[in-house]
Amino acid sequence: MNQFTFESKQKTILLAFMGLGALCLALSFFMDAQPAHARFWSNFLHNTVFFTGIAFVSLFVMTAFITAYAGWYVLFKRVWEAYAAFLIPGLVMLGVVILGLWTGWHHLYHWADPAEVAKDPILEHKSSFLNKNWYTLGTLIIVGAWIFFQRRLRSLSLAEDKLDSTGDFSLHRKMKVVAAAFLPIGAFTSAAMIWQWVMSVDAHWYSTLFAWYSTASWFVACLALTILTVVWLKSKGYLEQVSSEHLHDLGKYLFAFSIFWTYLWFSQFMLIWYANVGEETVYFNTRRHEFPVMFYGNLFINFLVPFFILMRNDTKRKYGTMVFTSLIVFFGHWWDYFLMIKPGVLETASHLGHGEDHGEAAGHGAEHLSEAASHGADHAGDVAHAAATHASDFVSGFTLPGLLEIGTMLGFLAFFLFFTLRQLEKASLLPKNDPYLEESKHHHVM
Amino acid sequence: MKDQNTDVLYGLYDDEQDLLKAVKEAKDQHLEIMDVFTPFPVHGLDPLLGLAESRLHIAGFVYGAIGCLFGFGFMTWVFTRDWPIIFGGKPYFSAPAFIPVTFELTVLFASVGMVVTFYTICGLWPGVKNPTLDDRITDDKFCIAFNASGAEDSEVDKLKGFFSGTGASEVNMKTI
Repeated sequence: MNQFTFESKQKTILLAFMGLGALCLALSFFMDAQPAHARFWSNFLHNTVFFTGIAFVSLFVMTAFITAYAGWYVLFKRVWEAYAAFLIPGLVMLGVVILGLWTGWHHLYHWADPAEVAKDPILEHKSSFLNKNWYTLGTLIIVGAWIFFQRRLRSLSLAEDKLDSTGDFSLHRKMKVVAAAFLPIGAFTSAAMIWQWVMSVDAHWYSTLFAWYSTASWFVACLALTILTVVWLKSKGYLEQVSSEHLHDLGKYLFAFSIFWTYLWFSQFMLIWYANVGEETVYFNTRRHEFPVMFYGNLFINFLVPFFILMRNDTKRKYGTMVFTSLIVFFGHWWDYFLMIKPGVLETASHLGHGEDHGEAAGHGAEHLSEAASHGADHAGDVAHAAATHASDFVSGFTLPGLLEIGTMLGFLAFFLFFTLRQLEKASLLPKNDPYLEESKHHHVM
Repeated sequence: MKDQNTDVLYGLYDDEQDLLKAVKEAKDQHLEIMDVFTPFPVHGLDPLLGLAESRLHIAGFVYGAIGCLFGFGFMTWVFTRDWPIIFGGKPYFSAPAFIPVTFELTVLFASVGMVVTFYTICGLWPGVKNPTLDDRITDDKFCIAFNASGAEDSEVDKLKGFFSGTGASEVNMKTI
């Protein structure tokens, strides 16, 4: 069967999960203990960035493979094409975050508050990059450019199906040009977007490795989801020619990039730990002391589990083992993004709560002036105060993912799958005129 | 056994596809292949010959684990017991700083250990006498070899018939 049909039963299940996700989002909006609905907004940002990133990475992998003359993936390349199409809803959801930025619905970003920036030399210094205009235009233009490349590649790939002969490579040559042009653009712009979307949540902090590290996280999540989708499609009787040989190579990618992710994670950690500069260590100190389960668990499920399970040859060829590992690793990288975003949002929210109380109590201009004069010492006091109160506190939805977070994630996942399965339905699963199709059919790794 | 000379009847093929077909054919005719030589690894040859999967990687894992524990343990002993020095205000036991060296030692132990094990299993050491059937099997020829020691003429004829039937470009007898 080369034509995928999206059965109504599957639609119902996915719609039910999307409903669950919407319900969880609504609950976290109305039952939020944090100021400015920080729990709701951080959940929204977390899942939006995570799933948009998976769409971006699938486009990136595809273009890298086309440029590298890779052939083995062609049998299931329609899955990646479908994933990449999720960039469009991704941009819409990022549009909601942008809208919230301008209207002040959320306080995810410390740098978005002009009053905070005015009294903070670090934020003021960074304000040429961390500002609303850059965030908005950057997101619209850059994700827009990704969507342009995605649509171009997809339309060329679909046009190739309609060719009369397999010997016509003219469209494939065009795809190679599109792919090669996208590679540097995608690589550099994704870094800039990650700084804006994720790293600027901790507005004072920065790391030059961060973009690499979080892209690697997307990459592994994308591979895990690909394995799950391919195995599911096979279990439904599609993709008959995708064999354990292809699964083996996907498993190798999952294994290798789990190690690559760990390498980057550790490189970032060790340099900051060794240099011991206060502005940098604050990031890991917060996570180690206030989020210890998340912090160490992150390494356990994203490094030790895939490393030891996927080390052997035969585990990468077994459908059950691969599904098991992919589920763990997919959840693990969602968890990784949770840990990137939540502590910073909580910190900003605690400042917000603190500042509001302060404002109500003060009311006198004189006090305000003296506060501004000694703001350096005051600020340090604030941080110490926040750290002291948080160290012992369990903040639901932040310290660990709660039921609402899991439900939101399932909702977004269902949305992602619903959208991508709709895309899969639009074209044959077998790109019958791809010049590398024959190579993919005869792919052997052992 | 080592000193005893072996008569080997071998055929050379020009293409790995011919070789794979010939190996299948030999299996069907129940001919006992002594060895197959190829200039590069041929996909699908190992299962056809019924060769068991190499267990070298298990040895590699063990060597790697030993290297990992040795590296980490040694540094821990040096920096906490034997010669404690404070570097950059860090505690004596600074696990993150030990990780890169531990990683390197894991790789070193695993790779050197596997090389030594592989050479030992293959009986390779400096100065070893290594008789080759034909120099061209290290270049572009694919070879199937049969042990023809003490074989009767009829058996040799049967093997020669097998070679000509499967498209061998050359058949030779050699004593090694």
